[in-house]
Amino acid sequence: MNNSPTPSERTPDAHFGIGRTLACLMLSVWFSTVLIAQNPAGAEGSAAGSTMRVTHVLGLEGISNNATGNLSIQQNALQFQKGEGPAVQISIDSIQNIFLGEDNKQVGGTSMAVARTAAPFGGGRVVGLFSHKKYDTLTLEYLDTNGGFHGAIFQLDKGQGQALRDELVAKGAHVTQVEDQPAKQSTPEAENESK
Amino acid sequence: MKVSKKVCPGILAAVILITLLIWLPELPAQTAAAQSSAQHNDSTGPQWSVQVDRVDPGGVNLEPAFRIAIYENLLHELSTTKRFKEVLRSGDRNASGVPDLLILKTTIEKYTPGSETRRAVTTVSGATKLNVRSQLCTRDGQVILEQVVDGNVRFFGGNLRATHNLARNVANKIKQSTLPQATLPRHEERNEGPAVAAARSLWDSKSRGDRQAGPMALTLRVAQAPNGELD
Repeated sequence: MNNSPTPSERTPDAHFGIGRTLACLMLSVWFSTVLIAQNPAGAEGSAAGSTMRVTHVLGLEGISNNATGNLSIQQNALQFQKGEGPAVQISIDSIQNIFLGEDNKQVGGTSMAVARTAAPFGGGRVVGLFSHKKYDTLTLEYLDTNGGFHGAIFQLDKGQGQALRDELVAKGAHVTQVEDQPAKQSTPEAENESK
Repeated sequence: MKVSKKVCPGILAAVILITLLIWLPELPAQTAAAQSSAQHNDSTGPQWSVQVDRVDPGGVNLEPAFRIAIYENLLHELSTTKRFKEVLRSGDRNASGVPDLLILKTTIEKYTPGSETRRAVTTVSGATKLNVRSQLCTRDGQVILEQVVDGNVRFFGGNLRATHNLARNVANKIKQSTLPQATLPRHEERNEGPAVAAARSLWDSKSRGDRQAGPMALTLRVAQAPNGELD
């Protein structure tokens, strides 16, 4: 007398419901990533003379890789400060070269990457198509007090790299190789081989 | 349905049992291998120091960020191997005073730029690939170890992750290789204490024709002459 459907009888409706839920979920993830991927307003060209929020990719001693912090020019030094921790300074006179680059990366980090992989029906790939962000890379070559060669890489919002480089050059940083066009990292599959 | 309910736990138990049977014999072997590797490293000892040279792009159009990332990652990975007494940077003036110094030269042989977005969208394309020739040389240019190493990023991570993988592979290969014995310091060869060795080196430099002996050398001679050890 019990008319409630058994799990096997419920299948078509349940599948339809799950499908709709997944579709809604994918749409919401897609829209949210598109929103995240947009550059914050006014990020471009607003770097000069101010503190910039950057990501230290690698190179600075005492600072962990991929740490986010504030990059600023203090008198005769380029200073990176992570949160409330001690600041690391690079003397501008010791900078031997500055390179600019462009790249794009997927937003959301590891959790987002896992979610994209787990999304059914290739939905993660569609999300991946829209969830990337362009940014500038600033590469510095500098010498320490012993003459040891160092390099540091920073990741900046798009447009900030050129402004920072101009400011460093104006303060006396050496640039031996001037590049008018920033080098693009994500060139499609052009294989380079030394002869 | 009843059958599947009975079979599922059985299959699960069988899978667990098989996994345990496969893994258990390997664990002691892995432990023994790790121990022998550690003993090998201890026995050779951290005698050599290494100076990491700047990355030579060769004829390859390589991003400066990649060059720097390879260089910095090499310094970090070589430090973590504990194979070397010191890991010095290119141009470091302290290197001139280091007795047993090897120089690590890295030349890019092949570079395939990738794209993180392409990797995320297609999975099979967009890989960043690096291929370098790595040479460990002595001061006089003699190559004592040469290898070609790859570093790629195919699925997760940014393009610069290839440089991290590359540096780790280079460091692992150096760690696994057998380097020639570093020359022992002279005071160890003669079974002397460091103080006697220092005095001997001072005396040697004087006896090699360094006639501009200062007051220190003169005092040393006066003080050591009755002992007779330095004459």
